[in-house]
Amino acid sequence: MSEHILEIRHLSKSFGANTVLRDISFTVDRGDVICIIGASGSGKSTLLRCINLLETPSGGEILFHGTDITKERVNIPAYRAKVGMVFQNFNLFTNMTALKNCMIGMTKVQKKDKMTAEKTARYYLDKVGMSPYIHAKPRQLSGGQKQRVAIARALAMEPEVLLFDEPTSALDPQMVGEVLTVMRNLAKEGMTMIVVTHEMAFARDVSSRVVFMHNGVICEQGTPQDIFINPQKQETKDFLARFLNG
Amino acid sequence: MFFQRVQNILANYGMTLLRGAGVTLLIATLSTFFGCIIGYIVGIIQTIPVGRRDHPAKKAVLGVVRAILRAYVEVFRGTPMMVQAGFIYYGFLYAGVSLPWLAAALLIVSINTGAYMAETVRGGILSIDEGQTEGAKAIGMTHFQTMLYVILPQATRNILPQIGNNLIINIKDTCVLSVISIVELFFAAKTAAGATYTYFEPYTISMVMYLIMTLFFSRLLRWMEKKMDGPQVYDLATTDTLAHTSGMISYPGKGRKEEE
Repeated sequence: MSEHILEIRHLSKSFGANTVLRDISFTVDRGDVICIIGASGSGKSTLLRCINLLETPSGGEILFHGTDITKERVNIPAYRAKVGMVFQNFNLFTNMTALKNCMIGMTKVQKKDKMTAEKTARYYLDKVGMSPYIHAKPRQLSGGQKQRVAIARALAMEPEVLLFDEPTSALDPQMVGEVLTVMRNLAKEGMTMIVVTHEMAFARDVSSRVVFMHNGVICEQGTPQDIFINPQKQETKDFLARFLNG
Repeated sequence: MFFQRVQNILANYGMTLLRGAGVTLLIATLSTFFGCIIGYIVGIIQTIPVGRRDHPAKKAVLGVVRAILRAYVEVFRGTPMMVQAGFIYYGFLYAGVSLPWLAAALLIVSINTGAYMAETVRGGILSIDEGQTEGAKAIGMTHFQTMLYVILPQATRNILPQIGNNLIINIKDTCVLSVISIVELFFAAKTAAGATYTYFEPYTISMVMYLIMTLFFSRLLRWMEKKMDGPQVYDLATTDTLAHTSGMISYPGKGRKEEE
């Protein structure tokens, strides 16, 4: 058995003739905060969606505690329950209140009883500063508030890894802060996270490792120091120059 | 003159007409209900996703079932209900089964409604944003759970106006069942007209009766829609001291102070 929570080996993904990901390999250990950066269309989001099997990889392996979850006969819902995901567009259930959104996974997937589920849901909603709004439906909340509820919903499942797919990209600038603050706190508490983001300051300050993707391959990966201060590849330098000066 | 004749018909055929209206209501509401059940079943089966990882046997069975359901929808959406009534009723007679009138009526209208509802439900399911499904999958829900707790409640809200449409169409269209001699409102009006040699008056009366029934149900459905949408405002939970100023405090306090 390996020590890694997740180990991605030679992962590839193509949509028809269009190859989006090629030979992606990296590992995730407990407490890692891995930020995936890169230009739009470089395959960041697809990579994240492959890890949660929302996209079926075309090749390679994804080992979760040593088990390849891309194999047949793997119980995908059970795997997903242990790997949380936060989406760019929140994807809160519009027919439920904030509280119900956080409870439904616990009561229906994890089969916890209502009392325990409600207590846990309230705990995590409080953690993201949303406890006053537990009875609000998603349409009654602002973007930043929705995303915080979505984070609470993912946390309530007590996942081993939390995936963030551009969690602040759909938000107004003044709401980005409240979501990033929540994420910083999670990182500080040792939550294992993989974050696809365009927030370079967040990637620089919070991550334990930064992965730079370019045209469907991992161009360069390393500590924030390696990537932001001493990038080796020309593509990385170009990308950062555009971002930092742009 | 006119009113006198109306009065006359009401005195002599009032009960017949009322009973006819009752039969119309009974057939329309029950058939809409059964039609919805058929529609949901067909619509749900039509939208089961088939992935590359699925077993070939599952794909084959699903393929056959879908082809049959597809044919059902096309046949019963593509032919007049009046003809279907004759086809089904006399078809059963031909096979040696004389259907009781209510069973025949419910069967015909339910099957017909089901064919329309199948497409309505399918449309309702497809109208729900893909993100809802992904959100549900991401917390580990199966397809069945996603449907039951996330997609169908939202789809049902969206198709409620269409269900109302079907109910109102059914109230009116049960009159085609007069071809198999079912005594609903139209048949009753026709009887009264034939017996008294007055035509305008009984049809006027039944016209008003149809309108009263349809108006009642369109109001009822609007009310149900509002009910499903829930309140426009929400209560702020008051564990947060900053929220005390809101003045919207009504919160079922079930053990909230002590949980630390």
